[in-house]
Amino acid sequence: MPKLKVNGLTLHVQQAGEGPDVILIHGVTGDLSIWFLCRAMTELAATHRVTAFDLRGHGYSDVPPTGYTSADHAADVLALMDEIGASRAKLVGHSFGAVVAMHAAVLAPERVDAIVLSDPYFPALRHLEDLSRWNHWQAFHQEAADAGVNLSGEHWYDLGKFFDQVNHLDGERLLRFRQAVGLPGLNRLLKLAGTTAGDDSKVEAGLTTDLILGVRQPVLALYGDGSPFLSTAEYLVEHLPNCRSVLIPNAQHRAPEENPEAFTAALKAWIESLDEAGVAAEGVSR
Amino acid sequence: MTGATSEPEILADVARILSDFQGREYSGPIGRETRFFADLGLASIDAVVLGEVLQEHYGRPLPFGDLMAELGKRADRDLSIGELADFLARNL
Repeated sequence: MPKLKVNGLTLHVQQAGEGPDVILIHGVTGDLSIWFLCRAMTELAATHRVTAFDLRGHGYSDVPPTGYTSADHAADVLALMDEIGASRAKLVGHSFGAVVAMHAAVLAPERVDAIVLSDPYFPALRHLEDLSRWNHWQAFHQEAADAGVNLSGEHWYDLGKFFDQVNHLDGERLLRFRQAVGLPGLNRLLKLAGTTAGDDSKVEAGLTTDLILGVRQPVLALYGDGSPFLSTAEYLVEHLPNCRSVLIPNAQHRAPEENPEAFTAALKAWIESLDEAGVAAEGVSR
Repeated sequence: MTGATSEPEILADVARILSDFQGREYSGPIGRETRFFADLGLASIDAVVLGEVLQEHYGRPLPFGDLMAELGKRADRDLSIGELADFLARNL
């Protein structure tokens, strides 16, 4: 499988198509297959060179013990762009991958033409959301409990605490959890749970509210119409200079999986509208 | 590899490749009914990598993007080896 050396790590990378660059960034505990399952890889490859990769700690990429903040992942994105010869690109991220995309745009604004944010909340903007109403979390909480992992109400959003419990599963509980997520899935989760990824994904890591609001590139806030993070979507549209939102029907936090056809159609339409407007050719004036 | 590849040959190819896929030794028999995820315990990221291995094996590009997208629309996200063999037979 194609692997590239990036920031001293070996990352699993998949590419398709030719043209201006698009980089696809999955979320924590996910992997690049999300972009195949929702057909984004195939659809965008008709007009772009599309590069998807497994974040460090995920899929078939290396698993370093530390370095999992949005700043660390964003540095990987920029180094990956160097490695594939992409001086600039449009970035598409799902969930925490969208936080990474935004962070990359803050670190290297001249290299990022546009950003698609699929259903993120930002650590710096956590105060906007009543996260206890996150249905996805509630379902996950129940699945985890059924599989022997108990998450307290207080720490419901705490991936670090979750990983800590996964690390200490034994006997019967480990067997149940393994049956619930599958063996390769469990092995990958155990590797990730041994890192600082859980706690690192909760911190601002320098991506402050001011820096987020300073992003001038075209931004698409692509959220599920039942997303737990719609307050974040509204805030971004209101406060960013160049942001619009599209809501995907019949989707909560995982529109690429919950309504892949509508998600990818909206993604493709927006990317193509940018090309027609000449965004890729002229870049962002500042 | 020449174009005339029969379905039993394809099934045998797939079974052989999966028996030691990514270092995962699967000891049970692999047949048309064997399911990629529920039986072999593989995940969608493994399907992406298997797609590459099969394209290398047959020496030509195959529309795995379409197969993955079809999988993404299924509630159980699972695929039988028979379905994979049919896909290969249609496209080889």
